[in-house]
Amino acid sequence: MEGKIEENDEKVKTIRSIIGFEIPDSEIMEVLIEKNNDIEGAINHLLDFLMPLIVKKTVTSTGVRISGPVNQENGEGKNVFDVRGAKGVKVDEEIEVGIDEKRRKEEESKVLDGCGANGVVGELDLGCGMVNGVMVNGEMEVGINEKRQKEEEMEVLDGCGANGVVNGVKVDEKIEVCMDEKRRKEEESKVLDGCGANGFVGELDLCCKMVNWVKVRKETDVCIDEKGQKGEECDMDIEGKRRKEEGKKVLDECGAKGVSGKLILGCGMVNGVKVKEEPDVSINEKGLKVKEEINEFVEVKGRQEEEKKVFDVCGTKGVVDKSVLGSEMVNRLKVKEDLDVDIEEKVQKEEEKKNFDGRGAKGFVGKVIKELVLERWIKPPKSNPHIDMQKPKEEKELKMVKFKEEPVLCVEPLSSMPLSKQEYNKLNSSNNSLSTVVIEDGDFPEDSDWLLVGRTVVTGLSTTKGRKLENNEIVHFSFPQPGSSKNSSQWGGSRAAIAAASSIVRFSTKRSGEIGRLPMEWAKCLIPLVNSSKVKVLGRCVAAPVNLSLMQELMLYVSFYIDHTVFTTCDKSSWRLDSPSQIDTTTYPLLTLFKLLKVKPFQNAEFTPEELDSRKRQLNLDSDSNEAASLLSVAKRRRGCQPYSEPNKDEQVISEASLNKLVGSVDVYDLKEMEAPDTLMCSLRSYQKEALYWMSESEKGAGVEEASKTLHPCWAAYRICEERKIYVNIFSGEATTDFPTASNAARGGILADAMGLGKTVMTIALILANLGRGSPDDQDIVMEDADETECATKRISYTDTEVSRKVKGGTLIVCPMALLGQWKDELEAHSKPDSVSVFVHYGGDRSNDPRVIADQDVVLTTYGVLSATYKANNENSIFHNVDWYRVVLDEAHTIKSWKTLGAQAAFTLSAHCRWCLTGTPLQNNLEDLYSLLCFLHVEPWCNWAWWNKLIQRPYENGDQRALKLIKAILRPLMLRRTKDTKDKDGRPILVLPPTDIQVIECKQSEAERDFYDALFKRSKVQFDQFVAQGKVLHNYANILELLLRLRQCCNHPFLVMSRSDTQQFADLDKLARRFLETNPDSSTQKAPTPAYVEEVVEGIRNGENTECPICLESADDPVLTPCAHRMCRECLLSSWRTPASGLCPICRQMLHKHELLTCPSANRFRIDVEKNWQESSKVSKLMDCLKSIRKSGEKSIVFSQWTSFLDLFEIPLKRKNIGYLRFDGKLSQKQRERVLKEFSETNEKTILLMSLRAGGVGLNLTAASNVFLMDPWWNPAVEEQAIMRIHRIGQKKTVRVRRFIVKDTVEERMQQVQARKQRMIAGALTDEEVRSARLEELKMLFR
Amino acid sequence: MANSNLPRRIIKETQRLLSEPAPGISASPSEDNMRYFNVMILGPTQSPYEGGVFKLELFLPEEYPMAAPKVRFLTKIYHPNIDKLGRICLDILKDKWSPALQIRTVLLSIQALLSAPNPDDPLSENIAKHWKANEAEAVETAKEWTRLYASGA
Repeated sequence: MEGKIEENDEKVKTIRSIIGFEIPDSEIMEVLIEKNNDIEGAINHLLDFLMPLIVKKTVTSTGVRISGPVNQENGEGKNVFDVRGAKGVKVDEEIEVGIDEKRRKEEESKVLDGCGANGVVGELDLGCGMVNGVMVNGEMEVGINEKRQKEEEMEVLDGCGANGVVNGVKVDEKIEVCMDEKRRKEEESKVLDGCGANGFVGELDLCCKMVNWVKVRKETDVCIDEKGQKGEECDMDIEGKRRKEEGKKVLDECGAKGVSGKLILGCGMVNGVKVKEEPDVSINEKGLKVKEEINEFVEVKGRQEEEKKVFDVCGTKGVVDKSVLGSEMVNRLKVKEDLDVDIEEKVQKEEEKKNFDGRGAKGFVGKVIKELVLERWIKPPKSNPHIDMQKPKEEKELKMVKFKEEPVLCVEPLSSMPLSKQEYNKLNSSNNSLSTVVIEDGDFPEDSDWLLVGRTVVTGLSTTKGRKLENNEIVHFSFPQPGSSKNSSQWGGSRAAIAAASSIVRFSTKRSGEIGRLPMEWAKCLIPLVNSSKVKVLGRCVAAPVNLSLMQELMLYVSFYIDHTVFTTCDKSSWRLDSPSQIDTTTYPLLTLFKLLKVKPFQNAEFTPEELDSRKRQLNLDSDSNEAASLLSVAKRRRGCQPYSEPNKDEQVISEASLNKLVGSVDVYDLKEMEAPDTLMCSLRSYQKEALYWMSESEKGAGVEEASKTLHPCWAAYRICEERKIYVNIFSGEATTDFPTASNAARGGILADAMGLGKTVMTIALILANLGRGSPDDQDIVMEDADETECATKRISYTDTEVSRKVKGGTLIVCPMALLGQWKDELEAHSKPDSVSVFVHYGGDRSNDPRVIADQDVVLTTYGVLSATYKANNENSIFHNVDWYRVVLDEAHTIKSWKTLGAQAAFTLSAHCRWCLTGTPLQNNLEDLYSLLCFLHVEPWCNWAWWNKLIQRPYENGDQRALKLIKAILRPLMLRRTKDTKDKDGRPILVLPPTDIQVIECKQSEAERDFYDALFKRSKVQFDQFVAQGKVLHNYANILELLLRLRQCCNHPFLVMSRSDTQQFADLDKLARRFLETNPDSSTQKAPTPAYVEEVVEGIRNGENTECPICLESADDPVLTPCAHRMCRECLLSSWRTPASGLCPICRQMLHKHELLTCPSANRFRIDVEKNWQESSKVSKLMDCLKSIRKSGEKSIVFSQWTSFLDLFEIPLKRKNIGYLRFDGKLSQKQRERVLKEFSETNEKTILLMSLRAGGVGLNLTAASNVFLMDPWWNPAVEEQAIMRIHRIGQKKTVRVRRFIVKDTVEERMQQVQARKQRMIAGALTDEEVRSARLEELKMLFR
Repeated sequence: MANSNLPRRIIKETQRLLSEPAPGISASPSEDNMRYFNVMILGPTQSPYEGGVFKLELFLPEEYPMAAPKVRFLTKIYHPNIDKLGRICLDILKDKWSPALQIRTVLLSIQALLSAPNPDDPLSENIAKHWKANEAEAVETAKEWTRLYASGA
């Protein structure tokens, strides 16, 4: 083995003499060889890399301390480890990690990283350090028995101050870790076996660490000492195996691998080592038998990485369990600490700034995670490792290595320079400074701002030892700061580790510094609470042990206080963990605290999350699975079809039947009837009286008296010290001291009666029955608190004064613009004159004074106005400054998207009672319902986290319980009857005149047919192209446009020749302005010059039609680009590579389709339709029908989805002098009212031309009894809505509905698609099926 | 035949080319393929090509006008942007094509290219190098070639 040395004996000697300490000759040789026999180089190299070093690691209460090279300067002679007594604590109180290093050899690099001693670090809570071939002890002691060393070691160990621990044999401390190290034998390597020992660390409680091919035996004191002193034993048996890697010589083996396991949670792993862990660690030491209850067995294989042998060796891979506690792993080289290992040593503390003196050792102390990687190796003379330690002058080297990644750690030596004595001493001395502070054991100062929650004994665990605590001594808690984890994350700690490290609460005394830490469960709930500065924690030690030992349980008597402001503000966020990853959390620290404090609610919440979440719980609801399945499909389908943008986004997709299934429609409501107030001028039907009763009751809550004494179902009441009551919302985590009465629970609900049952009248009756004014006084504050915070998406807290500042108002009705007039009319028509004041807050002349509207009994406004004022003034808007008695949202599905401004505006209104009127509480998605619940402030469902957790997600995942839950939630909240609902006697609640629905098939004239065929052929070619390219669904919009043309052609060929968009810029000046205004903003876009724009506008004004630069024809349906170029729309679009945007052919400016303007022109048709008028077959048929009806004097409504068709239809009406009215989106609100009024009164004009969109919703058109649907709409529900306008309460005649369909055209096929759609809604189709269904649908249309 | 379905735009362009030809340019469609044009461009004055008559062929692909016409010199020409096969390096014939361009504008552009060779964006490396290294000499060569190959014979 020494063979090689002989060759260069001289050199070796020289080197040795220079270096001044012993390095194995082999080592020197290696270096020499590597350095090409250059003595100087070798020396430098050795100095740089091979310096022996001892690192002491101390686990103190705060964590682990690593001391730099241990000097003997302390004068303690051999007592190397005395040094550790930082803090003036006794030596033996700390756990030390001694490292004995062996040198490793690495073939490729001859360096030694190997050095291997590796410190490991201990862990945390309990942590004990461990060590390598050396020993350490503390309360936990690690004795290491190295065979080789046995004799010598005695000294060392002694020296170490371990309390006479030695060899793992004797330990008087409770925990012992013995490491028996075997020497490795490595033939090839000359190296040191020594290396072998590897450190390891155990966490007793939690982690155990591992070791190398060493065995360690550890007993915790918690448990045991060998002598059998204490109860349980924790033994850890680690059997390291030696790795064998043939290829490599050496070191791999040495490589002890550190491992850490976590007992509780995880286990660490290691390389080449096997670790057996038992929760109670039992260790089987050679020959020694201890119980082995192995829970987790981990076998790790050593990594074999040929290339880096170094790391192999060292290389432990730490595995870190992601468990909460994180485990650590270590290498021989590295130590990573998570959890609370704080590296306390000053040395390290400074490191952050100072890089640990540069020498290397660099502790990284993340604030959160500490990853400490240590590489140390000591290079003792082979035969006598202690010597090193005893020689102060020897330079030791600390190397810090950092982890680069997990789980594979790379070790990178940073720098390695000798640490000077001076510096070292400095470090030490700073450590020593803490010792003499008076015992702090006085009383805690009284502080009236803090309310005592409770006191309890908390068992902490010591992380230090010695005479540090006195009875009654006050301990101070230190909490990790939120956000501190960021610093350390760069070191690659796992997230779990970060989380773990940020969740440690330590406590210390003024006198002795850190003592220990709180158990996790406490830490977890306290950290967010304390960080919110709403809670403080004071504690003192009771029953302090005379001599504290590590990991000892400490009884702390801890008092928990809550800031009194908690009870007055409602800022919920302060109660939540602020980490973004936990925003969705549904566990709340305060509740946890109460649980831990064993503060039991004297009144439990009626609902509990556990209950709702419990898999086992069967909600006692009737719901058959088929139903659920079909509903589910609806949801799935919705999700799958998001991009399925049907032309009319507002359309209702869920048919009534499906809706009934989903939200449930109770066959018989057993409700009392309530007589209508006498101010109501119309008589109510009995089901309407029932509704009135139901609504009135809902407004009262469950009886005001009772309700005000009843705890809100989502809140639990706790009594904390001094009989103070605190209420905690178990769903949201909010806390308050104000009694959350059940009456805060949503007052109001969803009146979801099907269309035509008279929701408006019922609501009017309700309003008349109780005009109301503001919130009842005594409940103001409470209610505001509750209301505002309940809203899941927007929380505001009003102070008391703010609330009272609000003016009390009556009823606010928010409705779509189209219904504004109708509400006003009906309110006036149905109420006794002067019994109610109605104010319409709409239009340009709106006041801004809340008092104006608050004076009125009823204020009507639109969603548009509401969101506009909200947008402008937020919660200071006129509506939000009124404390309404009642807010009614008509067509409440308008706010179905809860994130929208309009919805937010509605949520934040302050009101005593809230009502949603809608025939379709759920239009597209379950989320629609969420929005309504938000508005109603229904707890806990208006909290998105809960909704999502218990309903939305389960529902989407097909969990039927979600549906049941929805039904359970809605049952008390929603009243929904349909026309088929039966009353108590089994009769339908509503008898309406029958409807007579017929389809009128029209046959196209030959000319029409030709035209249609040509168009169809052209469209089909295009469609087939899409199909061939497989791009049908990508070109959905294009295809819809093709279809649109075909459908229009069925109505009248002229429509196809109409312009495709409205004449938004018919006013040329406006057009010119637009050009001049819009362009200057972006410098990249070449704005047309004013002169050019002028010219273009002038040209348009003069009716010039320029030649399209692409087809060179006179432009057909010309468009204007933002750069003021004109060309055919089609030419332009077809020149683009993508449908939505492309370059201007003239100037190459980027254009987007939506920027194109249709060239203004006087006529929306390309031909002069008046002159060339010809009736289409549909028009003729319609005229025939109208003529025959005319004689009877009945009124008719003609619905079309295209106003251009209505335009066309006016021609024959005018020519034949038939009186008609027209209602479409162009009319202002006032005009609409006038038209509707005229229509219901006049006998002259019996025909109302109505656009399907403008008139489909909400209007009451019972004056008419004939409905003509001129064109089929994609969704039957929209047509249904339209028919409902006529076929509703008040209708006395049979309603005749005529749908016009042109035979053998796309219309006929649309009917099939509609039918199919119905099936699809009802049926269960998967996303994929829906996808293909869409394709099928389209193909069907082009058949 | 190929002509049977000729887009109106091509017909229109052809008519205009014939009725109001651009100065120095003539383009006439082939008789059997209306998409194929025989083109002649006169070398611009004050250019090395002055006096030359350059023949080109121009073909309108099926996608025209959404795709650029294909044009190439048939006459040998010494020009940094034209290679020995007569292919032309001109952006509007490639990525800068716009349907608003026409045969006429393309040919005018080519004519302009003759007036302003651009050796920085060469198609023919050698010529471009020559042009840059010794423009006078290159111009001489161009003149020489014009004489040799484009003298109208």
